[in-house]
Amino acid sequence: MIQGERVALPVEIRDAAVASAMFAVPAPAARDLIAYAGLAPAARFGRAVCSLAAVRYADGDLGAYHEFAVAFLVRDPVDGGIGAFIHWLPVNQSFTLEAGRSIWGFPKEMADIPLDLAGRVKRCAVRFGGRTALELAVRPGAPLPTRSAAPSIVAFSHLDGVTRRIPWTVSPTGVRMRPGGATLRLGDHRVADELRALGLDGARALSTSTVTRMTMSFAGAEEVR
Amino acid sequence: MTGARTALVTGAGSGLGALAAQRLAAAGWDVVALDVDEPGLAATARRSPTLHTRACDVTDPDAVAAVAAEAGPLQRVVHAAAISPLVPALDQPVEDVHRVLHINFLGTVHVVRAALPAMLDAGRGEIVLFSSLASLVPGRLTSAYAAAKAAVNAYAESLLIEYGGRGVTFRVVVPAQVDTPMYRRQAAAHPKATAGMKGMDPGAVLDAVDRSLARPEGDLYVYPGTVARLTAATKRHFPTLMRRVLDKQTS
Repeated sequence: MIQGERVALPVEIRDAAVASAMFAVPAPAARDLIAYAGLAPAARFGRAVCSLAAVRYADGDLGAYHEFAVAFLVRDPVDGGIGAFIHWLPVNQSFTLEAGRSIWGFPKEMADIPLDLAGRVKRCAVRFGGRTALELAVRPGAPLPTRSAAPSIVAFSHLDGVTRRIPWTVSPTGVRMRPGGATLRLGDHRVADELRALGLDGARALSTSTVTRMTMSFAGAEEVR
Repeated sequence: MTGARTALVTGAGSGLGALAAQRLAAAGWDVVALDVDEPGLAATARRSPTLHTRACDVTDPDAVAAVAAEAGPLQRVVHAAAISPLVPALDQPVEDVHRVLHINFLGTVHVVRAALPAMLDAGRGEIVLFSSLASLVPGRLTSAYAAAKAAVNAYAESLLIEYGGRGVTFRVVVPAQVDTPMYRRQAAAHPKATAGMKGMDPGAVLDAVDRSLARPEGDLYVYPGTVARLTAATKRHFPTLMRRVLDKQTS
């Protein structure tokens, strides 16, 4: 029960839009940073991948809200595939905050998240009481053909000592992608300091992508340990 | 949280109005969402604590004024409430013509009169009125609808002349067919008159509105997408060609 309402699973998102950037970071530093979850980054040639994503949820089972995700690609301890460990997930509305933390253990906290996805360059910031934690700008890429099948992804979360595995499907339309294309400014916040320590201040992105409309489905979480 | 801005959105029970209300709520605005469709409104506002719904008919000026007064100072109005029955002009009962004009044109007048005075007093605000490409390029079966939307254009042009330059931004959005539940029903019922056109993504229409709000105050019209821009330009410069194309495509 969230704010007096029973949330049925899977949770369906009918309209979301995304601007995201992937960065290569030193694998040992990434491993140390997410060791608390008992997961290992998916690393190649000493590099791991950190993904930042700004998401506008317009129509979905958790209401309308903005979200910013800091995630790392990790080895899935269950099937050996690749998953996305959600390290930090600020949101700007209370229903999704409570639902995200209690249903899946997502590390959601309240923030101001101004997000402009209407212009050519997509812009997002995460602020706490007027202090800016970070700002991300994503420049437009080239259109990618939309695949008809909904890819399955696995997300991982860690809250209060419990790591959870969350099956998740996404179905994007209006995808654009390019190498580089992100401008990240890190401000005054614990997570900004962590990203700075990974070398992300002023770093060139591996790639950036934008999605004009995405549907998603989140199943229930299973505990990993 | 920073001080939330307040928006009033009409036609918020479905389609463009619903998505506009949800996007504003996602961005942290306080949203007062109006419609006569109460189940639709409830679906729009579900689990969005800052999205408040009011069952309200825009043809009732007192009801609209009461909702606007209760909402407090408004930063933005998005007026999307409209109907668009597709009927040949002489077959349409005159009562239905009245109804189209009442909802689509007088509804606009009621919403503007409810919101604009306080915006002018505050010296700021944004009024976004949804018109239609049909207002510039009326086609088959749209006589009442197109006339009502053309009246919206003329009304907004007068507003801009009378009240422009006082901090309130007016926008008239002129989209081609938009992929809303209303348009899907019409396209299914009238495949010829709608020329098999697939509606434009409502999100892209709202993106164009957002971008337009950054433009100079006097830039009244918003043409979302290439079809709307090209059609409006063709009609302006080559009206006879436009009529022939329209006649051929929709007969």
